[in-house]
Amino acid sequence: MGIICGLGCGTQAVYDALRAGKPAIGTVRHLRTSHTELPVSEVAMSNEEMIEMLRLPSDRVVTRTPLLGMVAFQQAVKQSGLTDAVRTAFVNGTTVGGMEKSEQYYLDFFEGKHTEYIAAHDCGAGTEQIGRLFGHLDAMYTISTACSSATNALIMGANLIKSGKADAAIVGGTESLSKFHLNGFNSLMILDHEPCKPFDKNRNGLNLGEGAAYLVIETAESAQKRGATPLCELSGYANACDAYHQTATSPEGEGPFLAMTGALSKAGLKPADIDYINAHGTGTGNNDLCESVAIKRVFGDHVPPFSSTKSFTGHTTSAAGAVEAVISILSLTNGFIPANLNFSSAIEESGLTPVTKGVGDVELRHVMSNSFGFGGNDSSCIFSKIS
Amino acid sequence: MAVYIQSAAQITIQSPLCDDWFTSPIRREGRYFRSVEPDFKAFIDPMASRRMGRLLKRAIASAMTALDGYEAPLDAIVTGTGLGCIETTEKFLNAMLRDGEQALPPSFFMQSTHNTIGSVIAQRLKCHGYNNTFTHRGTSFDCALQDALAQFELNDISSALVCANDEMTEDYFQLFDQIGYWKAEEVTEAMFHHPTTEGSFAGEVSAAFLLNTQPTQQTLCRIEGLEVLFEPTDERFRQAVEALLGKADISREEVDAVVCGYNADRTNDEVYTRRLTPLFPQTTQIYYKHLFGEGFSASAMGYYVAATCLKRGEIPAHIRFKEGKTAQPKHILVYNHFQDKDHSIALLSC
Repeated sequence: MGIICGLGCGTQAVYDALRAGKPAIGTVRHLRTSHTELPVSEVAMSNEEMIEMLRLPSDRVVTRTPLLGMVAFQQAVKQSGLTDAVRTAFVNGTTVGGMEKSEQYYLDFFEGKHTEYIAAHDCGAGTEQIGRLFGHLDAMYTISTACSSATNALIMGANLIKSGKADAAIVGGTESLSKFHLNGFNSLMILDHEPCKPFDKNRNGLNLGEGAAYLVIETAESAQKRGATPLCELSGYANACDAYHQTATSPEGEGPFLAMTGALSKAGLKPADIDYINAHGTGTGNNDLCESVAIKRVFGDHVPPFSSTKSFTGHTTSAAGAVEAVISILSLTNGFIPANLNFSSAIEESGLTPVTKGVGDVELRHVMSNSFGFGGNDSSCIFSKIS
Repeated sequence: MAVYIQSAAQITIQSPLCDDWFTSPIRREGRYFRSVEPDFKAFIDPMASRRMGRLLKRAIASAMTALDGYEAPLDAIVTGTGLGCIETTEKFLNAMLRDGEQALPPSFFMQSTHNTIGSVIAQRLKCHGYNNTFTHRGTSFDCALQDALAQFELNDISSALVCANDEMTEDYFQLFDQIGYWKAEEVTEAMFHHPTTEGSFAGEVSAAFLLNTQPTQQTLCRIEGLEVLFEPTDERFRQAVEALLGKADISREEVDAVVCGYNADRTNDEVYTRRLTPLFPQTTQIYYKHLFGEGFSASAMGYYVAATCLKRGEIPAHIRFKEGKTAQPKHILVYNHFQDKDHSIALLSC
């Protein structure tokens, strides 16, 4: 697996920051916006630095979303040792695509300037640029379901493998900050002007973040054949639709409930088997309440330890599902539950208290990760220790 | 598990929500056409309609038409869209660039995400099932179909609505014009047969297909399989074709026609000839983009055309690109590619 986000570049950097309880919520450095008052979680590297690190030609037409993707993709492929001798599909989740440059050059496009970025705008364009870092991919797919894109990429990859349409898949998502969606979220009045406080009674919105993460998935048989040691098992996953509202979750959290129960059922697990939930936990009034309601519906009085690591990484939107999948796997393999920062008192209606300080040396067998998107596109997955 | 196309509906630059294109097509010669829209009042109440962009209305009307009379539960809604609701995206972008980063209208942003389409259909149907959206350029619909087919194969679903939706705004037409997507001159039908330059002409497509596992009287055809490939070698392409035919237990000679995404762009069209000639030298070829235009969702109409031909048992003269044998069609391949990068090939049978 590979990752880049505000916390750093690579799984070790991300793990160290989580372990040290050091969030990466700060002020805007790279994004050209007048909203400098809004805290965000930016990746430290500039586009130029990533281009250099990736050894791309300096004049390469590439936007920030695929650049972040390339960094994480390369790490994931390297760690897995996967080559194109295996029939591999790439499933990439993104929504921003090339918007970072389109919003900068949009008016110029009509005057015939910077037109090389027109073809770099759509989501699929970035997928292709990232995918080309791998020898030969058998197929490429791009998914865009807003904040659950990367989790749905993981689910699609798993279904492709199980149905025999691929032998391995590189799955995940990437998203850079853009002025477009920063202003979009701001117009919805769901951005906190302070570091976000997921699951807190006085939560006041989310902080946007950026990043990318990918996982290499394959059957146990395929891993064995090429002598690879899997990190964990993707034991369950489910996608459901809340079918309630474009930007709000239903009060009973039907979509999140169906996603979590669906994932448990696919994994053949009981709620009591889940040792930690990496929650969606954006910090908005609506999400955290509805997610809490749904968690209580699924787990009853025995809610496992849970936290939202968006208090460290910000909400990396289309990449969030993959960023948090990597964090979930780091938790599982290191026996460590990361903290939910900035929490002080529970939401009255639910009374749920997340893990507020990182906990080490715990035995984790099954970790659930939730990703819920605009449009009620809700997905959950479960990572399990290989028994 | 066998998967059937039970019904299909389209809103395109041909007469909407019907198959007039099969018997009396509207001739489309030009550079840019917008969809012919039905009366949306039958599908969406006027209050809701005012808040929706055009593409959302088309998506709902085509989906509801495909689902007309269908009572059973729907397990999945999978959407393909290259650009999503680009009209509302542009409205938000223009407002931001014109008025600065203050007091921007949230409704435009809410409709700008690509998954708005699939989720609005789900809200409309109160469908809590699987819901996913693919945004992979010219094969967005093919990717969506592959998602559904994988889940049918795994017995995870037994019904699905698979849709394709893209609009072409005037601004986007201009942007794509800047990078050579369209011909400088009006595209004529003759150019499809003898393409000498690059570029095509723009159309718009909203199409919806209801898939399930029980054939009925109204069933259009069976989907035997689909292969989605990235830059396949000739050998990989041949393998994929053989795999499709092998699964259906038919030979290459039994393929009655191949539907191809010819679009009058010389480079685009050569790919079809190059890939198909060695495998299907004598087979009838069908084209359809002369009727529906080019765009990220156009490939969906290849399936639509093939399914209609199988259901009606004939291939009308105006969609025959290359004449082969003229038997009543039983097996049709649908082959599309995007810039010779993403390829998709499906076998439909009746």
